Amino acid sequence: MKTAVVTGASSGIGYAVCEALIKRDYFVIGVGRNEQKCLAARNEIIENHPGAQIDFITADLLSQREVLRSAKEILKILDRTSDGALYALINNAGCVRGCYTTTEEGYEQQFALNHLAGFLLTHELFPNLVKGKGRILFTSSNSHKMTKMNWSDLMFQKRYNPLFAYKQSKLCNLLTVYWLNAKYGASGIRAYGIDPGLVRTDIGNKDAGVLIDLFWSLRKAKGADPSVPAAAYLKLLESAPPLGELYHGCDKPHRYSREVNEKNAGRLFELSERLCGITGGWGI
Amino acid sequence: MKVLITGAAGGLGRALAVECALRGYDLFLTDVNEGGLLSIKRGLLRRFPVKVMIKSCDLTSERETGELFQFADRNGWTFDMLMNVAGIDFEGGFLERSSYNILKIVRLNIEATLSVTHKALARRNGSSKRFYLVFVSSLASMYPMPLKAVYAASKRFLLSLAYALGQELKSRNVSVLALCPGGLPTTPDALAGIQAQGFWGKLTTNRLETVARRTIEKALRGRRVYIPGVVNALLSFFGRLIPETAVAKFLYGRWSKAQKLRFREQAGGAC
Ligand SMILES: NC(=O)c1ccc[n+]([C@@H]2O[C@H](COP(=O)([O-])OP(=O)(O)OC[C@H]3O[C@@H](n4cnc5c(N)ncnc54)[C@H](OP(=O)(O)O)[C@@H]3O)[C@@H](O)[C@H]2O)c1
Repeated sequence: MKTAVVTGASSGIGYAVCEALIKRDYFVIGVGRNEQKCLAARNEIIENHPGAQIDFITADLLSQREVLRSAKEILKILDRTSDGALYALINNAGCVRGCYTTTEEGYEQQFALNHLAGFLLTHELFPNLVKGKGRILFTSSNSHKMTKMNWSDLMFQKRYNPLFAYKQSKLCNLLTVYWLNAKYGASGIRAYGIDPGLVRTDIGNKDAGVLIDLFWSLRKAKGADPSVPAAAYLKLLESAPPLGELYHGCDKPHRYSREVNEKNAGRLFELSERLCGITGGWGI
Repeated sequence: MKVLITGAAGGLGRALAVECALRGYDLFLTDVNEGGLLSIKRGLLRRFPVKVMIKSCDLTSERETGELFQFADRNGWTFDMLMNVAGIDFEGGFLERSSYNILKIVRLNIEATLSVTHKALARRNGSSKRFYLVFVSSLASMYPMPLKAVYAASKRFLLSLAYALGQELKSRNVSVLALCPGGLPTTPDALAGIQAQGFWGKLTTNRLETVARRTIEKALRGRRVYIPGVVNALLSFFGRLIPETAVAKFLYGRWSKAQKLRFREQAGGAC
């Protein structure tokens, strides 16, 4: 039985991915921020899929302390169940913010959750992924296009632009994917970015501000059911499509924006290591 | 520049700390939340080449506040700027709150602020080097606020104190700024509070990044008060023209609606 870790598993796309994985007999470790919601999600999955193997960990991934704690708990489970091997890490937890808000570390929240949390969790579980010849999936978005890395003010401290901060965080996902494949592909891991398309979830209605709340309520009505993108995640786990493309539904993959290049990827990787306090390399 | 910030693990304190570090200032940060202090210190040191020292302290304890300053002394800190950010409010009307909580507002927002300010200023030992003092008051300081009566009064205390001390200490080269922000989207709690006020909440909310940057700019320029946002400036102007009883009546209507909404929903967020 293969093991998969899914962040942001308590609702939306993450929840649908958990269900899809359970149907294929994966052992799933879900991560969510709210204990009640995690419990409810777990119960619902077990009710709908008797015999499902699923654990939930509650952690607020905006805080790096919590990312590290959740990694420790995951490691404990892996040691017990799969001799440490991890086949899939799905970095999916994400948020939308309408205004400049910071984490405990003083980092801007969209950058911290959508990018750094997944980056740090990947680092913490990397030896396990190598051991499991694993796949690392990032829920990115086609909206990473038409934007650049705002290198001079990555956290949009001068004047916050919610849309560009979001787009940039999704560009960061693809830069991470690029660098992981380029630098560590030889170790047997494969990293992919996914564009779920427009999906009917509540992401824009959670702490995003009155305007985005209103806008998203109208927009999401046109979105697909979360089970639609969930199929793409499974495809990426069960086959080995070429790297370097942004996968979307079951259609032809999108191309990356030109901003996804070696120079940006290397720069972001180094910076992210610093922002996450990673000093000892990637343990391989 | 060496800066002391109280309440540095909270939303506004953190944003001010980041803004100071961006300018290359060394920081001495305090808060009751020790874990939060460790995190913000880590985050700052990873981004900026500045010195950061932290010490957790419950400022409502005079003993702990004394120890805080002894710790700073031992480590050779003499401050050029003090930002009094630590402050609290408790939701609910006067009779719905415990008297312990009501007094705690006064102990932290007023007594602790006075104690920290006095200790910081006394340590200048008559030096004529410029010193910048910042009090975080609030838009709430501009009016009597039913259902937030004690909080608003404590913030008015700080505003009045800032005006008076600004004059009194001018000759000693101390400049005093009172920051009077409307809503700041910092904690999920603050977000929910803003959301519950609906239109008014949206209108009086300030951008955190702008407030943090301008507060420091204004302090450096020796300004006395900073009321962020045009709407807030207008509100505070008209607040002074209209009789206090009328303002209180209007605000009572607005807050009782907002609080009812808030306690009914207890969820959601806004900016
Ligand atoms: N929906 C779309 O159209 C769309 C399009 C492109 C990309 N995406 C991306 O898809 C991903 C999933 O979004 P979604 O649409 O499925 O939204 P969602 O339903 O809001 O799911 C987000 C998940 O992340 C969790 N989460 C939020 N903050 C967290 C934190 N601080 N710590 C840990 N977990 C946290 C949420 O927990 P709770 O259940 O407690 O809220 C939820 O499980 C995001 O990365 C998003 O950027 C979505």
